[in-house]
Order: sequence, then structure tokens, then C-alpha cells
Amino acid sequence: MESDTKYKRLKDLSREEFILPGTTVCGGCGGLEALRLFHKVLGKNVVFVNAAGCFTLLALFPYSPFRGSWLYTNMASAPAGAQGVRDALDILIASGRLKPEDDMKVVVLAGDGSTYDMALSSTSGAIFRDLDFYYFCYDNEAYGNTGMQMSSASPYGSMTTTSKPAHLSTAGTRSHKKDIFEIWRAHKPPYIATISPRHPVDLSEKVSRSMQYKGPKLFIAFSPCPTGWMYDPSLTVKIARLAVDTGIWALKEAINGEVKHTYIPSKFKPVEEYLMTQGRFNHLFYPVRQDKILEDIREDINSYWEQYKK
Amino acid sequence: MMIRIRFHGRGGHGIKTASRIAGTAASMEGFNVQDFPLYGAERRGAPLTAYTRISDGTIFERGIISSPDIVIIADDSLIEDPMADPLNGADTNTIIIINTNRPHDISEGLAARGRVFLIDATEISMSVIGKGSAISAAMGAAACRVTGLINKATVEKAVVKELTSIGISSEEIIRKNVEVAGTCFDSLPSFEIITRAETSQLLTKTIVLPYEAPAISTPNVIASGNIIERKTGKWRTFRPVINYDKCNHCWICFVWCPDGVISLDDKEFPHIDYDHCKGCLICYEECPIKAITVERESSSNEQ
Repeated sequence: MESDTKYKRLKDLSREEFILPGTTVCGGCGGLEALRLFHKVLGKNVVFVNAAGCFTLLALFPYSPFRGSWLYTNMASAPAGAQGVRDALDILIASGRLKPEDDMKVVVLAGDGSTYDMALSSTSGAIFRDLDFYYFCYDNEAYGNTGMQMSSASPYGSMTTTSKPAHLSTAGTRSHKKDIFEIWRAHKPPYIATISPRHPVDLSEKVSRSMQYKGPKLFIAFSPCPTGWMYDPSLTVKIARLAVDTGIWALKEAINGEVKHTYIPSKFKPVEEYLMTQGRFNHLFYPVRQDKILEDIREDINSYWEQYKK
Repeated sequence: MMIRIRFHGRGGHGIKTASRIAGTAASMEGFNVQDFPLYGAERRGAPLTAYTRISDGTIFERGIISSPDIVIIADDSLIEDPMADPLNGADTNTIIIINTNRPHDISEGLAARGRVFLIDATEISMSVIGKGSAISAAMGAAACRVTGLINKATVEKAVVKELTSIGISSEEIIRKNVEVAGTCFDSLPSFEIITRAETSQLLTKTIVLPYEAPAISTPNVIASGNIIERKTGKWRTFRPVINYDKCNHCWICFVWCPDGVISLDDKEFPHIDYDHCKGCLICYEECPIKAITVERESSSNEQ
């Protein structure tokens, strides 16, 4: 496998841009950063099927940042939309109206609210039907577009506008982040990966590797959100790095169901270093330090990594 | 008596919070108040508006304020922005407070507007807090001051209440914001407000569009990448500047720019597209050899 590696260093990345500037998403958007890197690998022949969410703002009528096509769907149906587009392309090719070399990659763009909650059923259907498509989830761990309401991707201990820390609920969000990676893996698609904009070589290599598989290719992109997580936009990359270095965001892939971690920090940093960078975790430190909750978070990280120790 | 205050800012300035600080402070002084923001589909950096009404009687008025008694402008680049149009509906009695570091350019153009007052809240915020991006306390305090109805101590209490309610729990940050609010409060005079009845919601200017052939006037839905025609460069409060004597063309700023506004030339030197750079400053933060510096936006670096 090593000899197949296409991306070894930053300078292997494409200098061509496929998402043009002028979009109305926030300055410092971690999701856009990940998508920009993702698109560089896929190249220009792409059709996006976009579930409602922050990335609705990418293509704001009559403007589009994409050089290719874009289709908008509601939050629950992007994978169903992708099925329709894929079928249409296949029919055009079969009937000779589209040359096979002009074929396009169908990519679902969806946030965590769509991915973890509303579109779970239509994603399940698309994977079950072995639809040949890419799924890009920009996971900013809440419903960012509507003002940071809790989603089932919101991590335990975080504050959202619908799970504010209070006297009886000092943690803020009391539920635990849904393990969408494992939910997808149970469907046995050929390729799943987690990616982070801070690790562009790892990201590019994974997208490149996935392209050899026919069927569902699913990606969850860690997407730091300055507006919703309450930090200065310049820190997006630092926060993405801390998420990996503290073990809270595992970089991994599953090829035909077999899980492999693509980067494991030699020594995990204390998770407080990550949590303290963001306003959404402020209540764990001020006015009183919530030792019990911090211990729970550490315990979650430890038990995650424990299962992969040989 | 009713005072209508309209706040203009960009997402991230804390304009909604500023309108709440003014509303909460006036409420603590025993007035009836309304405060509410208005924003479209855009985000941090894009123009937005917030409103506060203060009255000694019941407030029956609803909706946006089209004839403000006080206009607070948190970013001087908004004055020329047709989307924001912060001076719309203001007349010679309207008190206009502008946050700016280029008093010369601003006062020349606005002298005829009457009661314009300039303040450099970003500078005050940078000197006290070390950051000048969020200026809710400064703008809220400025609004309170010019009404002449609200005590400094009340403003400070309102700043603590509102910043706490948006999740800021660091006592140090709140204390510094209170200091910024106090400094802004003291640097402005109070005015005699000449209030008036709300006029109709009609725009004061009617824009007449000439007829264009459909090929020109209809959006082109098959246009590719045409978003580049939208300039997001005005979103910046601070701009990154590359020092080419130091730059070792490592690609890091190019790779991590979320908007892809940094391109590389033949010698792999990075170039920033200032028409679109939103000023997130990830490039400044990540540059490993500090070859990128930060400058506050001002008239001198406008091209």
C-alpha cells in the first residue's frame, strides 16, 4: 500500500482552486477549509447535493462558488437527491448523451444536524442500495446555521443554545456524541474516514484512496466553528490540531469495514488544553471547575482508545 | 418621550449584544424598552442591524426603526455599503456615533449631516482587552451615554448582565469590558435628543432601475464560480500583510486559508487577494516564522 501514497507533504497538494472566494460563510470557517482541501483532490467534475445547513450559504442565488453544479435539498434528503443525480448521469452515459470521461462525481454536502439526525434514514437507504457517491459531513457539533442548537453530534459537556449549563445541569449537553462512524460502518460501505483540516496530507490521501472504490464513500470532517464554539477565528487550525493531539478527534478510516487509525499522537495532551480554547466549554472552568465532568470527558477518551490497544 | 436607537455593525462586532446592553440599562433605570437584531442569511463579517427603543410610556411601535434618533455605526466601512445604508432615515437632528480610526476622512464627508460624533472604540478595546474585534460593551455604552438618561454605574451593571448571559464567564474579560464601557461612556457628551414621531416605513430614497434586456437583467444560473463578483474584503477589521523578505514560501498560509484567497506565484510566494480576504487571520496565526503581520484597516491601505 505504501507505494500507492500520492500525498506525502503539503507541496503535493493541488494549487488549483475549485471553490472560489466571495462566499458568505463566516471568516475562519473550519468546514469550508476542509471542503476546499477535499475538493482539490476530487477535481473539477463534481455535482454537489447540498442538504440545508450552513453551506446553503455557499451558493447564494444568483452566485455560486463552484465551478461545477450544485443541487439544493432539504435537510433529510440529500442522499436521496444524490441517488437521482447518479441515476440521471448513468442514463445519460448509457444512452450515449454523456461521454464516460465527462462523468461526474456525486457528492453529498451535509452538516452534522442533517448527517447525525435528520438524514440518517436516507443515508442508510443510500448505503444499503450501494449508491456510488461521496458523503462529506462538516461536523461543527450543533445546528450552526440556525444559532447553535444541540444536535446529536454535540459533545457531552458543551454548551449550546438549547443545552445551556444550569444549576441542575452543570454539563450543558448531557448526552454523548452519536458514533456516526460506527453507524455507517454497520452498513458495510467500502470506505469511511474521519478527516481534519489541520491534517491536509492525511485528508488528501484518504480522499485519493477512496476514489478507487465504487459505492458509498463517507467522510466526517472535523469543522471548528468560531461563531458557535466561541473562539477567535484565527484559532481554527490550532483548535483542530488540539482536537487530534488530545485524542478527542480520532483520525481513522475503515476500508471494507476494517478500522485503521491513520495518525495516533505519541503522547496525548491533557484534554483541558483543547476545551479551554472555546467559549462553549467555559462553564467547565469558571466560575468553578467542574472536576466530575472533566473526569467524564477524560474517561470517554481513554475508553475509546483502550479498545484499539493491542 | 421615546428614543429610537439603530445599531449598525458586522457579524462578530457584538451589535446584537450592544443593543441589549442599551435596552437592559434603560430598563434598570425604569424605562420601557425593546431590543432586537435583524440579520439575513449572512455571517460573521457581514452587515447586520440591531434596534433599541426606550420610552417612559408603553411602547406600541413594532418592527424596524426607519427614522432613528441615534445611529451607532460600529465600522466606518459600512457608511458606504449600500446593503447596510446606516444613514438611511437619519436627519439633521439624528445623533450619529461612528467607530473609526480615520476621523479626517469621515468628518469631511459627513459634516453636513449635523450631529456626528467619532470615537475609536476599537483602539480603546485593543488597549484594554488586547483585542478589538468584539466591541459590544463600547457600542452599548456609547448609545446609553448619548441618550443622557442612563447612569454610568447602570451601564456597567448592564454590561456584566448581558456578557454573562451570552456565556462569558471569565471575570477578567467581563471586568475589562466594563472598563471599556466606562471609557467610552466618559469620552462622549450627552445630547439633547430631539425625538419625533416615527415616519412611514418607506425608504427615503427611491431607486429607479432602467430597463435592461433579459440577457443582462436575468441572473445566469449556469454561471460557474461567479461568486467571485461578491467582494468580502470589507468584512475585515484587521488585515494580514506578508513580509516577503522573511517569507520562505512554505505553503502553510496557502493551504490553511479557508476561503482560498491566498495564491502562490511561480516562485511559490503567497499573495493575498484583499478584495475577498475576510480577515480571519489564520495565516498570521499559523505562519511558523512570523512573516505575516497584522495591520488595522484604515484609509491608507485601501487600494
